[in-house]
Amino acid sequence: MLTLYHWEPNANSGKPMLALKEKGVAFSSHYLDLLNFDQHSPEYLKINPNGTIPALVHDDLVLTESTAIMEYVDEAFPGPRLMPEDPIERWRVRWWMRFFDQYFAPSLSMIGWSVFVGPSVRSRDPEELKKAIDRIPLKERRIAWSKAIYNTFSSEELEESRRRVAIGIDCLEEALSQRRWIGGESYSLGDINGFNLGYALPLAQPQLCNDQRTPHIMRWLRAIYARPAAKATWAMGRTQMAERIKFLEG
Amino acid sequence: MLELYRWEPNMFSLKPLVVLHEKGLAFEDRYVDFLSLAHFDLAVAGALEVKYNPESDGPVLVDRGTAMTESFFISLYLDEAYPETPLRPKDAHGRWRILMWARFVNEVMAPAVSTLGAHKYLVPALKDRRETIEKKLARLPTQEARDGWRTALDDTYSQDLLADSRRKLGLAVNKVEETFAGSDWLAGDAFSLADIDAFSMLRPVPYLAADLLAGAPRTTAWLARMEARPSIKTALGSSRTGKPHEAFTPGPEHSRWG
Repeated sequence: MLTLYHWEPNANSGKPMLALKEKGVAFSSHYLDLLNFDQHSPEYLKINPNGTIPALVHDDLVLTESTAIMEYVDEAFPGPRLMPEDPIERWRVRWWMRFFDQYFAPSLSMIGWSVFVGPSVRSRDPEELKKAIDRIPLKERRIAWSKAIYNTFSSEELEESRRRVAIGIDCLEEALSQRRWIGGESYSLGDINGFNLGYALPLAQPQLCNDQRTPHIMRWLRAIYARPAAKATWAMGRTQMAERIKFLEG
Repeated sequence: MLELYRWEPNMFSLKPLVVLHEKGLAFEDRYVDFLSLAHFDLAVAGALEVKYNPESDGPVLVDRGTAMTESFFISLYLDEAYPETPLRPKDAHGRWRILMWARFVNEVMAPAVSTLGAHKYLVPALKDRRETIEKKLARLPTQEARDGWRTALDDTYSQDLLADSRRKLGLAVNKVEETFAGSDWLAGDAFSLADIDAFSMLRPVPYLAADLLAGAPRTTAWLARMEARPSIKTALGSSRTGKPHEAFTPGPEHSRWG
């Protein structure tokens, strides 16, 4: 039995979705609506007490943390290997996944939470929202949600996030100008990770990420979206968010 | 030939040293004085993955012409490239547990211990080096590195940050102590990279927040067991100051999300 609890094919949820599709591993999909706080429901907290998405349930094992789940998927199931053979390329894939997960993504998501997540839920009943925040198990996530809902990100922290996003884009462009894929010669979990983080960058940051300024990122995004597994993953989306990816076609 | 650029055997520099000695691998040992910021002048410092090293002041391993940073991923590299004396379980779930520890070590233990250690030991150590550091500061490759060293130089650690670091370290000790209720080692039945990873961060805790260990007898016993391993004795024996537990850099950032 293999069940993936996930939201839209985007950011952390999209990472194991795309990895499973690339491996050709069948799984049952359990969709959780992040904007409806499904991930903090008592039913889901029985599966993942931290209330974070995604989670993968494989027989009696529960696996969390999207990047570690991807490595598990790659090792536990047959199918094409999604980590390079060369240990140096494997090191490089992991280095970049950490750069994505701990430097680039938190800044990009801070902007996303302030312009998208907050406004999407803010109009609901204030009492209901307060209760929803109180139910969040992790302190860090509680802070994130309350900042998004009450729009209390400071202009300094948003400015700092924008500075980091610009650096992240430049680093990625530099790396992809030297190599076809993020780790080297083979497509890997690092590309899957980076794609989930960055597929919408040309829409969200059009001045920083476009065909003239970052041709290698654009080439890389299109090459990944051309893969059948990426098409199949984004077809699992239920909202407008997943529709955005179509600008990478053709 | 493997080459390791590193400072005193503490925190990030300790980790790959222990792995190399566990595996009995020969390497060129390049001791670099991080306290004088000499690690930013190395010939290998130009590569993107060195410049944006998330540890800011961590060891660099060079193998087959590639400079690698991030002490846990260097350690994982050594285990994959030199598989004799494996330091990870063979099964996917055991390996997932090691990655989960690594993430926790990175995000919680490393910034917490670094902040407490830098506040106690780095701040006074920089006092008579002010002029040299000031001169070099502007040339450090990232804003994060400049901010980290500036904070230590001017001793502008806030009470909030120090209190939050103690809170995080308390969480970390609790988590480790709970894990030892069911097992002698962090990631299953055997000594592994997870033990080396966490030990590298927790070894200086008795000097920084001994009270946090008072209610953690299993963690204390594990620290002693680790300390007695020949690989760790050898690594610690390579200290030039004789006080590796005082060797701190500003360390990685705390999560910006709180």
